[in-house]
Amino acid sequence: MSETKPAIDPILTAVISNRIDGIVREMTNTLLRAARSAVINSARDFSCGICTADNELLACADGLPIHSFGASLQTATMCRLHDDIAEGDAFLHNDPFSGNTHPADHTFLVPVFVEGEHLFTAVAKAHQADIGNSLPTTYHVTAKDIYEEGALIFPAVRIQRAYEMNRDIVRMCEARIRAPAQWHGDFLAGLGAARIAERRLKELCAKYGKDVVKSFVTDWLNYSEQRMIHAVRRMPAAHVVNHGAHDPIEGVIPDGIPIKVDMAIDPEAALITVDLRDNIDNVDCGLNVSEACTISAVLTGIFNSLPPDIPKNAGTFRRVKMLLGDGKVIGRPSFPHSCSVATTNVADRLVNCVGAAMASLGEGHGVAEGGIGMGPGMAVISGRDPRDGSDYVNQLIIANNGGPASPRADGWVTYELPDGSGLTYRDSVEIDELKHPMRFHHVRLVAGSGGAGRFRGAPGGDVAYGPIDRPMTVIFPCDGQVTPPKGVRGGHDGTRAVAWHIRADGSTAPLPPATNITLQPGESIRGLDCSGGGYGDPLDRDPARVLHDVIEHWETVERAEAIYGVTLVAGGADGEPTVDADATTARRAALKAAHST
Amino acid sequence: MTDTALRFRISVDTGGTFTDVLVTGSDGRMTIGKALTTHARIFNGMREALSVAAAEIGLSLGELLAQTTLFTYGTTRATNATVTGKTARTALLVTRGFPDILVLREGGRANAHDFSQDFPAPYIPRRHTFEVSERTLADGTRPTPLDEADARRVIGEIAAGGYAAVAVCFLWSIADAANETRMGQLLDELLPGVPYTLSHRLLPVVREYRRASATAIDASLKPLMQEHLRGLEQDLRASGYENDILVSTTVGGVMLIEELIAAPIHTVKSGPAMAPVAAATFSAIEGLGDNAIVCDTGGTTFDVGLVRDGELTYSRDTWLGPAWTGHLLGISSVDIRSIGAGGGSIGWLDDGGMLRVGPQSAGSEPGPACYGRGGTEPTISDAACVLGYFNPDAFLGGRMTLDVEAARNAIAPLAGRMGRGIEETAWGMISIANELMIKAIHEITIAEGVNPRESTIVAGGGAAGINIMPIARELGCEKVVLPKAASALSAAGMQFADIVKEETATLITSSAAFEAARVTAVLDDLAGRLRAFLSTLGAEAATRAEIAFIAEARYLGQVWQLDTPIDDPRPLAAGDVAALVGTFHRVHERVFAVRDPGSPVEFVNWKARLRVALPTEAGRRRLAVANGAPPVAATRRCFFGQGAVETPIHRGADLAPGHRIEGPAIVEEATTTLVVYPGTAATVSPTGNYLLSCL
Repeated sequence: MSETKPAIDPILTAVISNRIDGIVREMTNTLLRAARSAVINSARDFSCGICTADNELLACADGLPIHSFGASLQTATMCRLHDDIAEGDAFLHNDPFSGNTHPADHTFLVPVFVEGEHLFTAVAKAHQADIGNSLPTTYHVTAKDIYEEGALIFPAVRIQRAYEMNRDIVRMCEARIRAPAQWHGDFLAGLGAARIAERRLKELCAKYGKDVVKSFVTDWLNYSEQRMIHAVRRMPAAHVVNHGAHDPIEGVIPDGIPIKVDMAIDPEAALITVDLRDNIDNVDCGLNVSEACTISAVLTGIFNSLPPDIPKNAGTFRRVKMLLGDGKVIGRPSFPHSCSVATTNVADRLVNCVGAAMASLGEGHGVAEGGIGMGPGMAVISGRDPRDGSDYVNQLIIANNGGPASPRADGWVTYELPDGSGLTYRDSVEIDELKHPMRFHHVRLVAGSGGAGRFRGAPGGDVAYGPIDRPMTVIFPCDGQVTPPKGVRGGHDGTRAVAWHIRADGSTAPLPPATNITLQPGESIRGLDCSGGGYGDPLDRDPARVLHDVIEHWETVERAEAIYGVTLVAGGADGEPTVDADATTARRAALKAAHST
Repeated sequence: MTDTALRFRISVDTGGTFTDVLVTGSDGRMTIGKALTTHARIFNGMREALSVAAAEIGLSLGELLAQTTLFTYGTTRATNATVTGKTARTALLVTRGFPDILVLREGGRANAHDFSQDFPAPYIPRRHTFEVSERTLADGTRPTPLDEADARRVIGEIAAGGYAAVAVCFLWSIADAANETRMGQLLDELLPGVPYTLSHRLLPVVREYRRASATAIDASLKPLMQEHLRGLEQDLRASGYENDILVSTTVGGVMLIEELIAAPIHTVKSGPAMAPVAAATFSAIEGLGDNAIVCDTGGTTFDVGLVRDGELTYSRDTWLGPAWTGHLLGISSVDIRSIGAGGGSIGWLDDGGMLRVGPQSAGSEPGPACYGRGGTEPTISDAACVLGYFNPDAFLGGRMTLDVEAARNAIAPLAGRMGRGIEETAWGMISIANELMIKAIHEITIAEGVNPRESTIVAGGGAAGINIMPIARELGCEKVVLPKAASALSAAGMQFADIVKEETATLITSSAAFEAARVTAVLDDLAGRLRAFLSTLGAEAATRAEIAFIAEARYLGQVWQLDTPIDDPRPLAAGDVAALVGTFHRVHERVFAVRDPGSPVEFVNWKARLRVALPTEAGRRRLAVANGAPPVAATRRCFFGQGAVETPIHRGADLAPGHRIEGPAIVEEATTTLVVYPGTAATVSPTGNYLLSCL
């Protein structure tokens, strides 16, 4: 790759990129506030972006990491399948074999024409509350193939021609998707977001002229690449192999799914190469990772280790080379394997595996592993609402997987999952209880659970709930019950996930990672979420941080002593303890000596 | 005081540094006083500023206060206390099992890939949070009545812990308030004198985080603000003032001081909330319609607010501090969007070779390089300085001189790296700052479904005049006002503010099965509460009062409500419901460009807003009209994107109504500098404000 690109226009590039960013934010605002299902309007499980006509990702402000980075695969499919693309078209795409993340993410593609030329494609992607699967869940972990999974698949299907809706498609969906009115509201919101971008991009071109905007696109991608070149050059040359694994699930993946990431950093060429070809073949369940999710997960792991303001677009991606195998559980899946759960479980492990591999480059690089798994607090619940006799189905987003520690900060508490990285909103207890005939028993954080380290992982959550007076079906595909999120550079691992069924008599029974259970009135379900892994040796943690953790009940006195080597004594402000500096120094020295033998 | 004696209206805005006083006479004359804020006893600085104004009018302070009919007070004290953490030691009481309401908030963050920041601490520390055994459900049933033994035990811990305030937020207290109410009674009994706030009384809306956040903020401010406001009241009375004392609030209105002693959260962010009030008035005075965008440009931030159809716009998503990492105010407040761009914003070139502006700012210390206080980073003010927009020998009416050489030296390295000239680089910096501001305006107008082209821009703040014209041109706004009082927009707004009080209740009902009787009862109750308050203002006030009703509604399944005005609320007949639904469809279409006429509409919260107009002459005084061309005080070489142009310079004091100035030109006012760009013009209006237009 050539290193000497023509210099960008430093002012015009700033001006127009700011406009483009504003357009994507307007798409986001439109979709967020007009959508119907809680998974979009409460949990924010959607993303917007703009691709160029030659299918390069140009901008994806505020998008979920797992959604965003493969959008150009979808626009490429649209171009490949249709040689008559025209102004006024809109396409629906959710096919994981031709560029989508997983079938639950309905993606709206609107080609934007300026003076008769296709210049951009607006992309709005939103996780649907239901897609007509054989089970009332959009994460069908046990589906042995796409037929058992059961979703309607739209490989870039034209839904509008000359701005007129193809009602046939709408009726097909309404005939096959649970809660069809909710789906239709989300459908209109997604399409509206893409159309907003079309309107604004045309205004942009009218103002600056098509040619100026085209040269901006070139400049912007070159600029982004330049930022990435500088970032990669600050890394040491290295070849890293890191392993991870998804937990075994009885009857589905009895041995779990091993993950291997082979990464080479070449600062001189300013290139990161990630080889994922040495991974296992596709598995007969919903846990296969689509190509789009593989790409996004790897890039997320890398971006988590870079300066946060580096743009995320095709220019930056030029400096990451990915080698993917065909028919692999991670890579390019082979038809008809199911990718129903592609955005979360194995992909989350992949984000973690890449971030931890970056950490092995040396002090200051990478992040620890973040909390993973969708337990009871992220289950899809369904049943009949006795208040009006209607059926409900929805995903809860009230779990709390703790965020990973980094070289500079403790874990982000409302992290949720590596693929969303804290961007998603949490449900309100009151809103969930209002919308569904259910009751929460508790929602809280677990003290002392964050993976210890110089910076510590965020704690995991503890949630329990049940139906009020009619049965409720709870389905979730969890992970993290066996292999916890790992700490890095001497940081400790996070805690594992656990789930229990609590019967009416108060007795409890542990639940397997992949659960499909119907709770009767009086029964409930409880889940502990994973905490985040720690970064660096806990004995190097600033004692003032340890003290604060104890005072604020993030940590226990026992762990402060035993793991952090900090001795606390009475006499602090406000009746709280304080650090005995001498005793702490001595204790840390003793513990370090013991560790090294 | 005889009938012919002048009467006055005083507004006082106490900021962190300065106390601004604005006195308006019944003759329409405005007098300004200024003094340093005295934090220990706020009245000391206020007295000094008032005395300056009184002397200019030719009265003693006692005479001025005796002839004053209305005194309006605005303070940043509550805002500053929350930002600096100097609020009371406050205990938070929550439902057992749910101790982390303030920690877990509603999720969300600004950048998914930024792992450089710790998670924000909750507004009330976890160690000050206490769980109490009780539970109410969504339908108002109470499976667990308040466990009194548990409650008494917790109160004992609070008493022993030396807490100065208590916040109580139980789940679903808005569906049945019995548990919270009983908790309040126990606090009265066992902790007399310790102020507390109950969530269902302060903010009866669904969503536990925002209700708890508002409750915690309010309780934590009570000890401080109650002492502050009572002290002020005593000092004013002792100085001879006998009429009502009003305090400005976050909904852009004013309230009796007693109301704010009861709920001081309403003073938080009240300063910025006053700018749109001023904008509405200035736009109306100049006959420019009732849609306005107000832009307030200071040294470090750019605030945007809206006036739509003569009404302020409100938001329940106002944060104390940054979005996501600050604390949600929760209460309804004037919607103001703030970005980190102002006169002090620093320009820099990133490692990809792109010019950036902000968010770093040189602040007031050391300030821009041209201020000559040791600043070396290139700021927007330095850019304006090298472009010739500022008078280096007499900046801000002669209170300051500017160091042009220092400004050039600050920009030169940046220009060198870009391979461009210093002026071209400065022009680029201002262009990029414009873009950031244009985006902020776009975001708020889009969110409210307002077309900037049909609105009037009202510009305020010390740095407003630098770039308001290119911004207006870019947005397609043809009507722009730069008020004479641009640098003190909030204080001006206080002169025009009405008494505004809101009451809210939650009652969830759908258009498919509309509970008209219950809704009517709720609206009756809200109106009754407001009328009871109105009766305390005297009979005359009732003639100037109006109550507006608003439903917070959404399509079934949505979770974010839109404010839907209710035209004629009571009693709600079937036809009224259809009209209400029709109004909601229109609002939804305005904001989101789509409507879904087939969908049921769900009504969630019901609001009543009392407004008591306070007539004022302020700003309406007509000035003598000038003849002839506007006098030119000097000329200077200025740069407007191309080569330097010899540009006429006008002094604001030399201009009179009717004067029209075509760009390029500079107008130097005592507190701001107006740049009239080529292709634009400024006209002095009959009231002395500047009306700007594109040629």
